[in-house]
Amino acid sequence: MNLEDWYRQDRLPHIYCAGCGNGTILNCTLRAVEELDYKKEETTFISGIGCSSRAAGYTSSDSLHTTHGRALAFATGLKLVKPRQHVIVFTGDGDCSAIGGNHFIHACRRNIDITVICMNNNIYGMTGGQGSPCTPYGAISTTTPYGMQEQPFDLCKVAEAAGANYVARWTSFHVKELTEAIRVGLETPGLSFIEVMTQCPTSFGSKNKMRQVTQMLDMFRDNAVLKAKADRDAAKGILPSPEKFVVGQFVRRNNPPLGVEAAK
Amino acid sequence: MTDKTDFLNGNVACAEGALAAGCRFFAGYPITPSTEVAERMALRLPKVGGVFIQMEDELASAAAIIGGSWAGARTMTATSGPGFSLMMENIGYATFTETPIVIVNVQRGGPSTGQPTMAAQGDMLQCRYGSHGDYSVIALSPSSVQEMYDLTVKAFNLADRFRTPVFLMTDETIGHMREKITLHSNVEIIPRRELKEGELPCAPDENGVPGFGTFGMGHNVHITGLTHNEKGYPATDSAEIHEKLVRRQVRKIEDFRNEIADVDIVNPDAELVFISYGAPTRTVRQLLNDNPDTYGHLNLRIVWPFPDESLLAFKNAKAFIIPEMNLGQIAKEVRQHTNIPIVVVPKLGGALHTPAELLKAVEVAKTVKKPVTEVRL
Amino acid sequence: MKLVVNERRCKGCNMCTKVCPYGIFQEGKRPGSRGYIIPVLDHPERCTNCRLQKLYGRQLCGMCQMICPDQAISWIDEKPFEPQKVVIEY
Repeated sequence: MNLEDWYRQDRLPHIYCAGCGNGTILNCTLRAVEELDYKKEETTFISGIGCSSRAAGYTSSDSLHTTHGRALAFATGLKLVKPRQHVIVFTGDGDCSAIGGNHFIHACRRNIDITVICMNNNIYGMTGGQGSPCTPYGAISTTTPYGMQEQPFDLCKVAEAAGANYVARWTSFHVKELTEAIRVGLETPGLSFIEVMTQCPTSFGSKNKMRQVTQMLDMFRDNAVLKAKADRDAAKGILPSPEKFVVGQFVRRNNPPLGVEAAK
Repeated sequence: MTDKTDFLNGNVACAEGALAAGCRFFAGYPITPSTEVAERMALRLPKVGGVFIQMEDELASAAAIIGGSWAGARTMTATSGPGFSLMMENIGYATFTETPIVIVNVQRGGPSTGQPTMAAQGDMLQCRYGSHGDYSVIALSPSSVQEMYDLTVKAFNLADRFRTPVFLMTDETIGHMREKITLHSNVEIIPRRELKEGELPCAPDENGVPGFGTFGMGHNVHITGLTHNEKGYPATDSAEIHEKLVRRQVRKIEDFRNEIADVDIVNPDAELVFISYGAPTRTVRQLLNDNPDTYGHLNLRIVWPFPDESLLAFKNAKAFIIPEMNLGQIAKEVRQHTNIPIVVVPKLGGALHTPAELLKAVEVAKTVKKPVTEVRL
Repeated sequence: MKLVVNERRCKGCNMCTKVCPYGIFQEGKRPGSRGYIIPVLDHPERCTNCRLQKLYGRQLCGMCQMICPDQAISWIDEKPFEPQKVVIEY
């Protein structure tokens, strides 16, 4: 199987806007799946609702496009019945942390053996750019026209605290690192959570002084701080500036997973 | 193996029926008065190679059993009114993606938290119409512990045959009542039809039901809750595809409403006819026992789709007397299918109707002229 | 191997112009068949993957293909003995 076989050819080109990072994340996911030589019949993609969740429909293996926020609950059921399946969940920031927040923390707590790829574009893209729990403080969206007044979620910290076995964050600019992180996540038993900062040029960039896709990529490149650097800065007592975010692998551990075949 | 006789409560009988029917995945959330189903499943499923999981809420329970169903297992959850309300979202998803699942609703007094430990039948319309959009479902209503067992088995077979959610709409009385029950060593299992090679995943067969593309079997299906074409791909902007899809999904059940009808017809020549389902059936049977050959009785074991032709069996009927533990939900449905006067005997609060109360309704029915009359007990 | 941009899929986001270490992708000027302005290739024969993929037996670099959100960039086998125009720049 080569990479192109993992795309559902008769559905491309996809519905994403020009410059949407979700397509990039789909590339990286399928590349990681292909590198691991997974069989199509042993791989299942599950997604909720939103731009991110359309990704499952563009993969050529079995895929389940479910209800808003509930993808992890569907995935839990599927994985428990068929532990041999490699289950990969595509979700977005609103899908995962707002309507699906409870399912998210409980899936992490159970440490069910699935890989969750959260495409965090900071807003609700499908409905036209409303503020989400991951909209940065002060950012403009259609429901926060005077700037977001709430603090955003740090999804990686939530996942880590809730008990996920593998947690990492990258951006849609760091494609090689992201692919590697997804590969490691797929190989790690238990819940693997990979948050991907991605650009929504249509609804987020255009309202936040980043009209061009390339400006958003520049922002990811300039504002992403490697975890090792962030740790060094913290040791020196340097406070991180608010627009920066940390990327890298946050945790990889071997807590007992759920939904793994007894033979393993 | 021979049949086994036991003395169980309704909820445990339901769990045993599910296991006999081959249910191997149960996701649930504790709620009075349905919890014994989950407890029994938690105890028994691991012993038969199944999986029990307690989810974080009822939304997740319904989601997990749909996921489990697509993985190929027969799956079930059990809940009561408040949890049932939460499940509505994924019940709609299951109807639209044609996922066979069984949901047990041990009804309690509502609305809201209501009377957790008292019986009611207030969710009968919710199970039919509760989720958004047009759809049809199958709902069964047992009136004894033995029927809890038998109808649970039947629910799984109907779910797989029609690829639809099937509800076991029981109530606290039946769920918590202990009776003698025969556990069969061998029950009939009608498995779902697997998708054939080259068949499109959402293309219906002659009965309007598509083949089931179990995940992990190499079918490479895409299942979505969006309006989809016969390939299963989203086609949300086509009025024609949407109408065809919704109409087919409703018709695949409604066309068979009289074929799958499961009713008891007693004294078809009677003039005064009781219609009941679930716990009130027990009171009606007592009354019929005390006054043989006086009244007719139609007992519904399948409430939805409503078996309209069974009303025609009562040729001399002058009035239908409908005792329900709600304000007349199924009476509304009966009214749609007949011009014979209806006497509604609603009772709320959790206690069953007494035979004396039914006799009071009989007195009203003897002289009834109006299309619908409500008896205030 | 030859680097190609699939006009049927490309939506003209120009993310490829951002990541190619050789600057092969340049912002286009004219709309393609679907109305999107497709990037143009500046001396694609400089692409490492074009030159060395066969030799190494695996994909090299590939940043443009990975970041392309529309799965529009790929490498195809060139026909053998295809005459190539050599331009000498002074």
